[in-house]
Amino acid sequence: MDPLMRCGLSPFIGLYEAPHVPGGYVMLPGMRAQLAGAVQVVRDREELKKGIADLYDESSKMWEGLWGEHMHHGFYDPGLPGSVAHHRRAQLRMIEETLSFAGVTEDSSKWPKRVVDVGCGIGGSSRYLAKKYGAQCQGITLSPVQAQRAQALAVAEGLADKVSFQVADALDQPFPDGHFDLVWSMESGEHMPDKNKFVSELTRVAAPGATIIIVTWCHRDLSQSEDSLKPDEITLLNKICNAYYLPEWCSPSDYVKIAESLSLKDIKTADWSDNVAPFWPAVIQSAFTWKGFISLLRSGWKSIKGALVMPLMIEGYNKKLIKFTIITCRKPE
Amino acid sequence: MRLLTHNMLSSNVKGVVNGFPLRLEASTWVEKEVDFNADFLRSVFPKIDWPALFGASQTVGYVALPESADASMLESEDFLKKFHHALLEIHVEEGALVCPETGRRFPINKGIPNMLLNEDEV
Repeated sequence: MDPLMRCGLSPFIGLYEAPHVPGGYVMLPGMRAQLAGAVQVVRDREELKKGIADLYDESSKMWEGLWGEHMHHGFYDPGLPGSVAHHRRAQLRMIEETLSFAGVTEDSSKWPKRVVDVGCGIGGSSRYLAKKYGAQCQGITLSPVQAQRAQALAVAEGLADKVSFQVADALDQPFPDGHFDLVWSMESGEHMPDKNKFVSELTRVAAPGATIIIVTWCHRDLSQSEDSLKPDEITLLNKICNAYYLPEWCSPSDYVKIAESLSLKDIKTADWSDNVAPFWPAVIQSAFTWKGFISLLRSGWKSIKGALVMPLMIEGYNKKLIKFTIITCRKPE
Repeated sequence: MRLLTHNMLSSNVKGVVNGFPLRLEASTWVEKEVDFNADFLRSVFPKIDWPALFGASQTVGYVALPESADASMLESEDFLKKFHHALLEIHVEEGALVCPETGRRFPINKGIPNMLLNEDEV
């Protein structure tokens, strides 16, 4: 069953691959829209950073209006779909399952006191962790609009004394070495063009004994006999990268190797793809509400392009190409 | 931007040996009341670079902090209240953070510092 049928959309809209068309898409019925631009993954660093910042400057308000303050997948028991309220609870559950997997202690005397939220969005995780642990949380994002909104929400929730946000680059964090006892990256790793530098920076700012948590989109591990993904897999990922301003993907094993090379301890990883399966169909459905449609039109082309590519995420998961991955570890004492 | 945040930000411009502390320029700031928590202040004190905090507080016209401080002062309610005010209750809204070695300015807009570097500074 193709991904559009699975989410009930294909009577209304067809997104067909058309290799003869630049950009590779034709949209039917009723109108032909050609997504401009060649499908190209390798943007230079500055273009990528600006693209990411612009995408989130443009789309954060829409996302918040439809889905709320958490810009990450929900965690579901496999096989159970649900209402929008259910999805918001699932997003909170994602945070809790992540903390649990990482082994962050329940003992309040040992709770983290200083947290960095790398790729913080509009600060959902930062505020949640500040409330849960009473910790000081620093969030960094490339998007000035997100940082402002994150701060405004913190003020509104009475958390302005606990959380702060900066516009900064995760690959060049403006923090001293060893400052944080919990280093948190929730669905931002997929934007990082240099995974080695990314994990190195997370490690640098982690205090001895600190927990480092990465929840991110990966592609499947390669088998022993493979040098690379199959051509059709690469084509699919390239289209997604183009729309979401993602650099090249890596596998969970790649992250594990990087963590090992940095002498990080207690490295654990899990595939949570089955636990996030209801998410993209739900997001697509929200885009097709009247509110979603108007918000998309208001937000702009980058957001629309991102929305059109959502069925490809479902296709990627169905083909076991895309893996929703958690990697946790500890900096040695 | 609270002075607690200023106390942990440093310049990461390529070639800079010591990018901390950033010199604070503040054109607009506000004071917002925050609940006093002595335990928090005592636990955060060892992590604070006092000269940086002192310098920043002087910049925003709060002159009550002593020029140097040690842990014994944490017994004094009066000291704790001043520490609390400087660290948590002063919010710089507009201004800049200036790299001590290169003079590079990182702007602060609506309370948010922008620490992004340009291509040639990385």
